[in-house]
This record gives sequence, structure tokens and C-alpha cells, in this order.
Amino acid sequence: MPEPLKPELLTSGPLLSVRDLEIVFRIDGQDVPVVRDLSFDIEAGETLGIVGESGCGKSITALSLLGLVPNPPGRVSKGQILLNGEDLTRAGEARLNAVRGNDISMVFQEPMTSLNPVYTIGEQIAETVRVHFGLSRAAAWDRAVEMLSQVGIPSPKTRAHDYPHQLSGGMRQRVMIAIALVCEPKILIADEPTTALDVTVQAQIFDLFQDLQERFGAAIILITHDIGVVAQMTDRVMVMYAGRKIEEGSVASFIRDPRHPYTRGLISCIPHLSLPPSDVPAPLFEIPGVVPSARELGASGCAFAPRCSHASGRCAAETPTLFPVGDGRSAACWLEVEAAR
Amino acid sequence: MTETANVLEARDLVVHFPTGDGQAVHAVDGVSFVIPAGTAFGLVGESGSGKTTVAMACARLTDITSGSVYLQGEEITHLERGALKAVRRHVQVVFQDPYASLNPRERARDIVRRPLDLMGIGTKQEREARVDALFATVGLRSEQKDLFPHQFSGGQRQRIGIARALATSPKLLICDEPVSALDVAIQAQILNLLGRLKGELGLAFLFISHDLAVVQHLCDRIAVMYLGQIVEIGARRDIFSRPRHPYTHALISAVPSPHTIGASTRIRLKGDPPSPISPPAGCRFAGRCAHTVEICRRATPTLEAGDTGHAVACHRADDPEVVAVRDMLVRASSG
Ligand SMILES: Nc1ncnc2c1ncn2[C@@H]1O[C@H](COP(=O)(O)OP(=O)(O)OP(=O)(O)O)[C@@H](O)[C@H]1O
Ligand SMILES: Nc1ncnc2c1ncn2[C@@H]1O[C@H](COP(=O)(O)OP(=O)(O)OP(=O)(O)O)[C@@H](O)[C@H]1O
Ligand code: SF4
Ligand SMILES: [Mg+2]
Ligand SMILES: [Mg+2]
Repeated sequence: MPEPLKPELLTSGPLLSVRDLEIVFRIDGQDVPVVRDLSFDIEAGETLGIVGESGCGKSITALSLLGLVPNPPGRVSKGQILLNGEDLTRAGEARLNAVRGNDISMVFQEPMTSLNPVYTIGEQIAETVRVHFGLSRAAAWDRAVEMLSQVGIPSPKTRAHDYPHQLSGGMRQRVMIAIALVCEPKILIADEPTTALDVTVQAQIFDLFQDLQERFGAAIILITHDIGVVAQMTDRVMVMYAGRKIEEGSVASFIRDPRHPYTRGLISCIPHLSLPPSDVPAPLFEIPGVVPSARELGASGCAFAPRCSHASGRCAAETPTLFPVGDGRSAACWLEVEAAR
Repeated sequence: MTETANVLEARDLVVHFPTGDGQAVHAVDGVSFVIPAGTAFGLVGESGSGKTTVAMACARLTDITSGSVYLQGEEITHLERGALKAVRRHVQVVFQDPYASLNPRERARDIVRRPLDLMGIGTKQEREARVDALFATVGLRSEQKDLFPHQFSGGQRQRIGIARALATSPKLLICDEPVSALDVAIQAQILNLLGRLKGELGLAFLFISHDLAVVQHLCDRIAVMYLGQIVEIGARRDIFSRPRHPYTHALISAVPSPHTIGASTRIRLKGDPPSPISPPAGCRFAGRCAHTVEICRRATPTLEAGDTGHAVACHRADDPEVVAVRDMLVRASSG
């Protein structure tokens, strides 16, 4: 890799601070909130994991940080997104473009929809490099090939001339990662970056992430369904359910001592690799019921209550707020409040 | 076991994709396996090693360069369009992305009924009844039949995809990363469902996944692919208690475990994966293997089955050096 081309960040306080974020989608003439009361911080050099049920708002939260909530039908309706103190919810398109090129980059969840089918992968990476570093076409092309090699694409020189459809799913994913890393962002948002990859390539990609972190003090926001990945990669974990943060804490506390009943269910659902394996695998634990849609959610009450075996009258009536449970951890569950009494 | 007890058999399957300049991508290079009824065969391995291509060849959705595929004992390798109907009926595919594979403008009931319409199976009433039964099988409520895909959760959409795949009562269900886009709560529901279908309907599965824990949970036999070839194949118990190939070791060691926060016993592969356009002579893994000796680069190791049907393509699989790695992995897992 070339020498760092950008000066270190010299600020104190969180690199990114999200405050009381609300994101709504306009559905049938109504503003339906899909993210509510969401606050979190991330420091330079830190990795924050975001986990939670499908549809709970992880990707849309990530998109909001880049000013990419599809509008219409969506918009950020409340709150602030502070990048080094600057509120990005008030930034214009030109400023957001600069942020996207220089400060925050993202590996999107669907690689096929985010690659342009009519350009070769080499052209797509080189174009990003050229715009960002102002390199010549030839130099940008070389950098693109080098980047392809770093993300583990075999014969990168030849493969750079391929179009997206000529690559396997995992290779397309790696091209996306190459594009996100090539600009050496301060914040890397990776939305399910390695689900399409085998575990050895996944490990190699995570090495690249950590390298970015060590050399540039980059912060990483990692969205994933893989609890093993969370354990290995993140420092802190935020659990979301139905648009809200319901638990936050260190990765160790998340895995070893989850507090919110949803988080506990989540941890119990996962199959474990064991050597040697059990003779007959038992059925996996299932959390009963389904997550309510954003429109079904009542104005108050815990969104998990209909599926929770501990739910009481209070749970259905009042929305629990995040309650500190020690060690800088918090959980939004009435059980914790009662227990603390 | 007689030949026809196998729902699917692939023999020396080869699929090459021509590149523009007269060369070819060796996507699949001599792959053989059988899948008996009521069992799940898992394919794991490197990204780009040819797993999806194997699946597409077995469903006759991609051209087969050489070798043969048998469906219930009948060769289907070169069947022409009309004759492929039976293949379409008996081999169904569930794709990774439940959303992209469902038509957003069709109601759930129409999506599930479509294969029956296309193949002219049953009367109109019979088809509707079949749709009701399928909704029940996959755990969807019948009042959800009139909804559109966007009105379902990801897991429910994957259930629609599975119901559609089951409509023609296939013998083989090919699942290419069916749960990797789903959260773990939904994944658990789908895996339990697939396990039930295997037991109750005697369905055979070709199951592709990068998640070794998921494969261990569902599959009875497992093959590990590297660069177009199977490098190790065996029963679930053998693969996960006595993994023998150095690449299998690397895979198992790289699985991020929720138990070992931060730390890992990961075996780092050196170098880059070789090009599938001009695969190296000798062992295709030699350039990246920690145990390579001179013979590895010269002679191609063959997939040799022991008495248990546990086969490995490695010159040094029984070498104490390689066996020691396996023992280390097993210790690390139980420790
Ligand atoms: N363009 C859109 N129009 C309407 N609703 C949308 C749109 N995009 C997202 N939503 C809704 O916003 C909510 C949050 O979606 P989001 O994609 O953030 O979920 P997620 O947590 O990333 O889920 P997954 O784990 O499945 O990727 C969902 O209820 C979704 O239906
Ligand atoms: N239509 C095609 N034209 C040219 N090459 C192809 C085509 N489809 C696949 N390939 C190549 O064949 C090889 C095998 O691809 P395949 O999609 O089967 O891999 P895979 O094991 O499923 O990988 P992944 O785990 O990333 O999904 C790859 O090198 C891929 O680039
Ligand atoms: S044959 Fe040689 S190079 Fe190939 S896996 Fe075995 S030891 Fe490694
Ligand atoms: Mg998402
Ligand atoms: Mg594939």
C-alpha cells in the first residue's frame, strides 16, 4: 500500500455522534417511522457492531450517515448526525458528496445492484481512485489492480478487465470492498460485507479492515448477522429491534451475558460448529412469532412484548427506555428496571 | 446401494466457461458425488471454487462440458429442451436472495402456483389446494396468500421461495446459500423447516453454504471444494471430527467463533488463490499449503476413499505433520 495520503484526524470527542435519529418512510400518505430515538457514538479506531432482526433498520441507519436515505419516500425526520461536530443532516448535496468521497465509505449489502454492469471492475475502481487522489488514468489503473490483489482476486491483471456478471458472487463482493477501501476513509461502514465469502477470504478481508484501522485510525461500523464475526471483529455492539436500540455494550457482555430477552433469544438461535459434532443435531431454538411491521407498531409499549416470555402489563403499555446495567452497558427492558429496584 | 436409490449422481462433471481470448475458466473440473433420498449433501469451499456452477449443472441450468449427471438413475446430461421438463419438475432451486427471486407484482399464491401452471400439473382446483397445503408446510398462514412479496419479512419471503420450489414435489432441492441473507432468528426457523422436509418428505438436498456451522447442522455428507475440484468428501461425522485436507483445516480454523472473542487459531493461507483460467499442475492448493513438498507441485493427488467413504486429495493427508494440525483444531474446539 502507498503511504497515507491524508493527514491524521486531530480532534477530540467522538468522530461520529448520532443523536435522537428518526427516519420515516411515507407509506399510503403516512409518515411511518422505521428508526426512532437512536443515539450512538463512534470513536476513531473503534469498531462498532450493529446486529438485529431483518428489517429492524440497520441498513437504513447506515445509509442515513451518508445522506443516502431514498427520498422520497424516506427522510431523516428528527435528530442530528454529527461528523466531527458538523451536522450532516443539514449538509447540502455537494458537501455530502465530499463526505462520501473523503470521510465515510460504505460496502453495500447487495453487490450486484451497486456495481455498474456496463463498466469493467478495473474501470470502476480506477475511476474512484482518479477522482479521489487526482491520479492519472494509468496510475489509477495500477492502483485498481493492486487493490484487487489485496482483496484476494486471483490474476488481478486479467480479472480487472472482467465485467461484474463474469465474477462469482464472492468476487463481486470483494470488488465492492476494494472500492470502499481504496480511498482510505475515516469511517468505513460495512453492511454484511462478507456473507457471500468463504471464511478464509472473510478473514483476509477483516485483516484489511484492521490494517485500515491501524494505519489511519479509521472507525468501522460493521453490520452483520454473524455472531461469530461480531465476536471476532468488534469492540462494542449495538442491538436493534423494530427501529430502536434495545441493548448496547462491550462485545464480551453481548455474547456472555446478554440482557435484553431478544438479545438472549438471538444468541440462543445460532448453530455452533463443534469438533467432533453431536450425533443427531437437535432442532435450533426459535424465537416465537414474527417481528411486527413498522406500521403495526403501536405508539407505546415494548415492540418485543408480543414475542417475549417475560412480558408483563407494563411492557405492553409503556415503551422501555435504555437503562444502564453497569459497565457502560444499557438495555431497554422493564425487567432490568424492576431488577434494579 | 443401488444406483436408483440415489436421487442425484454427478460423475466426473466438468464445466468450462470460454473466455473471450480462446482460453477457458475451469469452473468445475471433474467432480463426482451421489445424493441418496432423504439426505442432505453439503458443498463448502473457496469463493469462486465452482459450487454454484456444480448446482447449476445438476439442474441443467448451465451447459456441461463433459462428464455426466443422473437424476434417479436416468442420465440427464444432454437432454434437449422438451425432455428437460422432468428435470425442471424434480429438481428445484432455492436462491440466496429471497427478494430478487420473487416477482414483486405477483401475489404470494400466484408465485407458489406458477410452476404448476407452467408444467400443466393438476386441475385448477387441485392447484389451489396444493398451494394451501404448501403454505401450511412452510409455516405461512393461508390469509397471507394474497399478499405481495414486499409485505413479507425476509424469512417469510424465503419460505415463499421454498414453497414455490416444493410445488412440483421435486426429489431434489438445491439450496444455494439459502440462509445467508437472513438474520439468525429466521435462519433457525428455515433450517428447522429444511430439516423437517428432509425427514418427513424424504427430500434430497444439495446445500451450498459458507457457514460451516449451518452445514454441520443440516448435512449428512459434505464435500469441500477448492478451485473447481473436490479436495475432501465424507460423512458429517468424519469431516468434522477427522478433517484431513490442509484446505479443510484452513477453512475450519477460520470460522469466527462466538466463544473465542478476538483470538483465533486461524491458519493463514499464504499467497493468492491461483487462476481458474490456467490452474497449476500438481496439487492446486500447493501454492498456499503449509505442508507442500516437492511431489505436491509435480503430481496431482487423487481423491482416495478410505473404507468409510471419507476421501481426500492430498499426498500428505496421513503425514504426522498434517495429522497434528487436525488434532490441534479438534483440541481448540473442545477446549
Ligand atoms: N425504500 C423503502 N420504502 C419503504 N420502506 C423501506 C424502504 N427501505 C427500507 N424500508 C423499510 O425500513 C425498514 C428498515 O429496513 P433496513 O433495510 O434498514 O433493514 P435491515 O435492518 O438492514 O434488515 P436486513 O437485516 O434484512 O438487511 C424496513 O421495515 C423496511 O421495510
Ligand atoms: N457465466 C460465466 N462466465 C465466465 N465465468 C464464470 C461464469 N460463471 C461463473 N464463472 C466463473 O467460474 C468460477 C466458479 O464460479 P461459481 O459461481 O460456481 O463459484 P462459487 O463456488 O459458487 O463461488 P461463491 O462462493 O463466490 O458463490 C469463478 O471463477 C467464476 O468467475
Ligand atoms: S498435496 Fe501437498 S500441497 Fe496439496 S494439500 Fe497435500 S500437502 Fe498440501
Ligand atoms: Mg440491511
Ligand atoms: Mg456461488
